[in-house]
Amino acid sequence: MCFKNLPIEFDAQGKPYLREGVANPYAPSTAPRGAPAQLTAERVEELLKRNGYIKDLDFDPVTRVAGALAFHTVTDFQSRKVVEARSMATLFRGYEVIMVGRDPRDAIYITSRACGVCGGVHSTTSAMAIEMAIGCVPPPLGVLIRNIALALEFLYDHPLHLHLLAGPDYSAAMVGPTNPSVLARARTTEAPHAEVHGFRTMAELMEDLNPLSGKLYLEALHMTRVAREAYVLICGKYPHPQTIVPGGMSSTITLSVMNEMLTRLVQFFDYSKKLATIWDDITEFFYQANPAYQQVGARRANLIDSGIFDHPDAYDASYANAAAWGERRWATPGVVVDGELVTTDLHRLNIGVEEFVEHSYYEEWTGEGQRQRFATDPAGHPLSPYHPWNKVTKPRPQGQSWKEKYTWDTTPRWDRQSMEAGAYARLWNTAVARKLPANPFIESTGTSLKLRLPKGAMPEMELEWRVPSVWNAFERNRARAYCTGFTALVAMNNWLAAMDRLKLGDTRTSTPFEIPKRGEQQGVGFWGAGRGYLTHHLTLDRGAVANYQILTPSTWNAAPTDRWRQPGPYEEAVLNTPLLEETDDPAKFKGIDILRAIRSFDPCMPCTTHIHTDVGVITREVNTCACGVDDEPA
Amino acid sequence: MRVIVAGVGYRNLRDHSVGVEVVDRLMARAWPPDVVVEDLSYNPIAVVHRLEDEPPDRRFERAVVAAAVERGRIPGTVTAYRWDGALPGDDEIHRAVTEAVTGVIALDNTLVVTRHFGTLPDEVVVVEVEPAVHEFGDAFSDAVAGVFDGVCELVARLATEPDAAARLLLAPLGGPVAASLRVP
Repeated sequence: MCFKNLPIEFDAQGKPYLREGVANPYAPSTAPRGAPAQLTAERVEELLKRNGYIKDLDFDPVTRVAGALAFHTVTDFQSRKVVEARSMATLFRGYEVIMVGRDPRDAIYITSRACGVCGGVHSTTSAMAIEMAIGCVPPPLGVLIRNIALALEFLYDHPLHLHLLAGPDYSAAMVGPTNPSVLARARTTEAPHAEVHGFRTMAELMEDLNPLSGKLYLEALHMTRVAREAYVLICGKYPHPQTIVPGGMSSTITLSVMNEMLTRLVQFFDYSKKLATIWDDITEFFYQANPAYQQVGARRANLIDSGIFDHPDAYDASYANAAAWGERRWATPGVVVDGELVTTDLHRLNIGVEEFVEHSYYEEWTGEGQRQRFATDPAGHPLSPYHPWNKVTKPRPQGQSWKEKYTWDTTPRWDRQSMEAGAYARLWNTAVARKLPANPFIESTGTSLKLRLPKGAMPEMELEWRVPSVWNAFERNRARAYCTGFTALVAMNNWLAAMDRLKLGDTRTSTPFEIPKRGEQQGVGFWGAGRGYLTHHLTLDRGAVANYQILTPSTWNAAPTDRWRQPGPYEEAVLNTPLLEETDDPAKFKGIDILRAIRSFDPCMPCTTHIHTDVGVITREVNTCACGVDDEPA
Repeated sequence: MRVIVAGVGYRNLRDHSVGVEVVDRLMARAWPPDVVVEDLSYNPIAVVHRLEDEPPDRRFERAVVAAAVERGRIPGTVTAYRWDGALPGDDEIHRAVTEAVTGVIALDNTLVVTRHFGTLPDEVVVVEVEPAVHEFGDAFSDAVAGVFDGVCELVARLATEPDAAARLLLAPLGGPVAASLRVP
């Protein structure tokens, strides 16, 4: 059964409908069954008053994340557990408001600015939403080049996160002060994959994860250059591309461009071998050092991904056929609930999405006297009044209160459940669904993904990412490492297919289009960021944007607790995290396990950093990744 | 002496566009072959890569960098100094790198990151303008518009006159208070 909470059923042809006899199918009283719940604010206040060993522990800002994130916890230093966790996105920029009334083509350039790492994914998702709204289908080469471009963007993103943002959490410089016994063990533990990555012991590996000086840190910086150079060959500039258009790409693709791209792409084959084995070794080492590490960042395996990398023979930019072309993608869309893949159908994924704002700085847009703009999607499937196509962004800044509102992020839910997004969801769906196109490099087995990485300086190597039995911070990082190889091989498959098109003399990369000046049109871009799930829902009215809603991976992951007290993914992961740091002195406590849990999601937050000073809080505005929030309001 | 004249900032961000506007203005001029004018308003790690691409025997020897920076001075204040190259501690440098790769474009970050990775010329001349406004738009505030022509001329002199830079004080990021001057 696809939906457990929303009263959505399916007829004999698989078409969804609302169960008869349910007076208000999307009523707030329809709660998620079996979901964890945060303690009430009253209960937490009581605990704080009664017990001296329970204290507020705040992280503001959470460092080494893209953009800014603040995190509040109430921590029990006796049982070494977190009893309350609150994730805060601290800035509203309002892309969704900015877009209203504009020519839809502006969205390609404006929404790109939501992120300083992965602007191209927003441009692309925007172009796809427009394509769907106006009925413009890209030519095959346009689809293939778009796939390659975005794969290259991810090849920038993944090393950056693994070895610049999350990696230092596992470095000798961090583990030494927080868990000296673990570092001591690392000095006498041989690294199982030394022959691949070159580090004899785990301590040697951890030394080279050190910020600024570690070889792995510096190598990741170099690899971002390699990916960026390949990307700009087809996108003009990074991170805000200039060649993404509705109906394909405006780039001129020649054999010279393809070859220059290839010389850079192939460098990721060997690098992917190293990454996967490094993160295999880190993960297994920590599990063996202390099995409790399997609980760091643990939560239900509830994952969602919109899929990415289209097949040129399948993609027709239509909503009507989205379920069919979605399942032919190189990364299969899907929803995993409690570790089980429940759908790969983009229609079902789409109609299950709702956004709530009980604990967010927005006003409700539903309720008495409010008209629901769309009762169904363009295929006639039921839509919630809380669905992005029905959402209206109404920012309402106010004071922070755990009982009331405390973040600019909204609360997206699928079938009322808290879902997380990430590169790992991409792997999980693709591994289990077994819907990959035939190809020489990647195999979906139903329980794993086999990646055959060609020979480079290193010999050919087969990696296998297996669906994990536990879901935690380490598995997120391990999966992201494998996803680098997966992404490089998707790019290689598309590079080969693009060369076949060029050999046929087919150099067309885009389809001309016009924006209709009459009537109302709907579109949605189903795509993905390096961090996972990304959708842009668009409504056009007489040629202008009437509504624009962006839903990003960090919108899902950084979401606050919902009206049913179900925590958001960061919050849930932190609530489940044991404090394994080797100190009993709260004053010396660094919160490394909490930070590992949060950073494993690869947070991508709005553009403000809050800095505490003696005289209060100052705000430094910066233009970086705003994915957590800009989607929201934004 | 090979000189790079650079601007750092954001387009369409009113006073915070000073760096790129200076570069736009100066690129239209004829320059000696050893002077390069470039917009370096992008990820400072990519700036590192750009600077290390110069052949070893043709590395830049002086950088003249213009930008708007909020330091609490009177709006329109122009501060010119030779940067002493002093870097913050490792934690701050690591924070600067993190901000760099996630898209932050700011003068201090660019200088710290490029200096740390050893790609910045030994001599760095900084021309800062204190902005009055921080909002979208293509027009300077009156305070910054009033000094903009002077800033362009100052940057040009610092790039081409052998002794002009040497007369500036050596100072940490932000410059010495004594070096602040109001360009007429």
